[in-house]
Amino acid sequence: MNNTNLLQISDLHVEVEDRIILNGLNLDVAPGELHAIMGPNGSGKSTLAQVLAGRDKFEVTSGSIQFKDSDLLSLEPEERAREGLFLGFQYPVEIPGVNNAYLLKAALNAKRAVNGKQEVDAFEFMKLIKDKMELMQIPTDFLNRSVNEGFSGGEKKRNEILQMLMLEPQLAVLDETDSGLDVDALKVVATGINTLRSPERATILITHYQRLLELVVPDYVHVLYDGQIVKSGNKELAQTLDERGYDWVKIETEKK
Amino acid sequence: MSTINLQEVFDASLDQPDISAASRSLRNEAMVSFNETGFPSRKHENWRYTDLKPIVSGEFDPSPQPINSQQEKKASQDIEKSILDSKALRLVFINGQLSTNNTFPNELNGLSISKKTESYKSIDVLQGKELFKDYPLAALNTAFSQRETLITLDEGIQITKPLHLIHINSGTEPRAIHPKIAIDIGTESELTIVQHFISSNPEPGWTNSVTLINQNKGSLLKLYRFQEYPHEQFHTELLKSRLGNNAELKLGYVDLGGKLVRNDVHIDLAEPGAACSIDGVFLAINGQHIDNHTLIEHSAPRTTSQESFRGIIGEHGRGVFKGKVVVHRDAQGADAQQSSDNLLLSEHGEIDAKPELEIYTDDVKCSHGTTVGELNLEQLFYLCSRGIDETTAKGLLTFAFANTILQRIEVPEVRKRAASSIAGELPDHQNWGGLL
Ligand SMILES: Nc1ncnc2c1ncn2[C@@H]1O[C@H](COP(=O)(O)OP(=O)(O)O)[C@@H](O)[C@H]1O
Ligand SMILES: [Mg+2]
Repeated sequence: MNNTNLLQISDLHVEVEDRIILNGLNLDVAPGELHAIMGPNGSGKSTLAQVLAGRDKFEVTSGSIQFKDSDLLSLEPEERAREGLFLGFQYPVEIPGVNNAYLLKAALNAKRAVNGKQEVDAFEFMKLIKDKMELMQIPTDFLNRSVNEGFSGGEKKRNEILQMLMLEPQLAVLDETDSGLDVDALKVVATGINTLRSPERATILITHYQRLLELVVPDYVHVLYDGQIVKSGNKELAQTLDERGYDWVKIETEKK
Repeated sequence: MSTINLQEVFDASLDQPDISAASRSLRNEAMVSFNETGFPSRKHENWRYTDLKPIVSGEFDPSPQPINSQQEKKASQDIEKSILDSKALRLVFINGQLSTNNTFPNELNGLSISKKTESYKSIDVLQGKELFKDYPLAALNTAFSQRETLITLDEGIQITKPLHLIHINSGTEPRAIHPKIAIDIGTESELTIVQHFISSNPEPGWTNSVTLINQNKGSLLKLYRFQEYPHEQFHTELLKSRLGNNAELKLGYVDLGGKLVRNDVHIDLAEPGAACSIDGVFLAINGQHIDNHTLIEHSAPRTTSQESFRGIIGEHGRGVFKGKVVVHRDAQGADAQQSSDNLLLSEHGEIDAKPELEIYTDDVKCSHGTTVGELNLEQLFYLCSRGIDETTAKGLLTFAFANTILQRIEVPEVRKRAASSIAGELPDHQNWGGLL
């Protein structure tokens, strides 16, 4: 095992309802790195993201995931989050009746409790969130609105990034946070992601499009196909995929 | 153990000089009717799921008690807890009696508060033989309520500040308290009422309340009613209302405490264009029994009603909901929507929810639905993925289930208070009241 890795996924097999979705996936992520994962629809990208966050409807049949010093698969979703893992959902869930402020406070307090810190008070909370809301161009009345309820696609995605900025995860897994955004919103989201990049943190960006990767430059680009990472490269690979699509990768894979 | 003889207590209570002839005759009529019907029994269809035995056998003494100064002082402390603003318009009832010392202010432009002694036509048509027969507990209330409080609002007056009616149940012996309130809202007038039922009394007690409302043409009444007793109290009540032309009634019911609670609502949308909404939330946990029975009558064209009740049923809790809507022959173009959604937190909880529609005209739009569910797993995972532990997340979602209804309360301080009370009442680890 390489101890310098933040995340180490080895030979991961995942099934849902007796269907094999991930079939021997390997991926290492070191601190400071940004990995982009691309791949055709239905190739298992969201499954990977959800498995990392601990969604139990996906069954891990074999393989292992090491996150920092922990066996990630043995942790509950909330423990993973408190260890510093964050999932930006492809489809953020609407929760009528739970205000954004309640969610954020509860999440912050949960993290603080682990570190033996006091609960956040109203004043401190506002101080923490104010700049971040401005950065994400989220209006102030948003805190009293229900989580994601009646949000446009773009608002939901910006809200995911806002939550990430508040929780300051060590590893952020962002599942198609760029899809459905116009050019301006894309810039806002990219700024949010870049704000948190640092030598200690790492990011996994799941995306379909090259356009985000021009604003958030990846160290590595991987192609997920048929439940495995079939090709890895640098940011030029994303460009090639953008120009030529996935068919050539599929053909290359099938030849092997 | 002494057995309370209701007739004797009743006779004694009538044996006072300052009771008007009108009031005397109405109360007599009520007592006669109650003697005929007795307490409703489970044989009656409307009482199938609710057994009044603990109340009947509770030996609750209905004889009226004058308020003492200690209670008045205690009351002002309780009020501090029940409303946020000390300048709030309020009427305070201690064990059913209006406490003049705690009332603020006495008179407001167009709004008057008095003791109803003589007959008052628009209210008196709402009561009488038929009401007493249909609602024996309302008959009992009328027989024993000493001082009916009459709230009237003149024509064309909008009062923006809410009027709080605070009912405090305080005393050491097990008492039966029969508060009775009559409200008459003038043409094109607007009023908001917040009715609190609270108690600092650890002893069991029984409150049996009646509220009679007449709304004239184009008037708007918002009435939010909160019941926040400790878990040893019994509560029964009837709210009966008649709405004139294009009048609108918005009702909110929040039941958090009480051991056995039965709320009856009877609304008559009597004239064209009248509209009502009822939004209710109740918590039946730790052996509580909460029963809401509503009857909405569409008696005229283009009348609309909207009703949503949400129940949270926990360990050995029992919820009952029956929502009956009658659309009469003249009610063309009526629109009636009803829903009852319930969250079962424990397999030892039980809910009986039943909508009932009676329609006697063709041209109507009606819908109703009942659900009994558990928490949504996608939402649960989303919260946990943010580091929130499962029990807290469940508490948050349980709260949210109620909160979507509470969000319709149009008085911000009342809405906030209801939200934090519900959050604070949730069982054990799900309690995250400190967060709000
Ligand atoms: N709950 C589920 N039940 C059955 N199949 C599922 C479920 N969730 C995902 N899948 C299937 O798993 C495959 C991978 O889906 P997903 O991980 O969402 O792909 P991607 O994010 O790459 O588009 C798809 O074929 C999808 O239909
Ligand atoms: Mg996906």
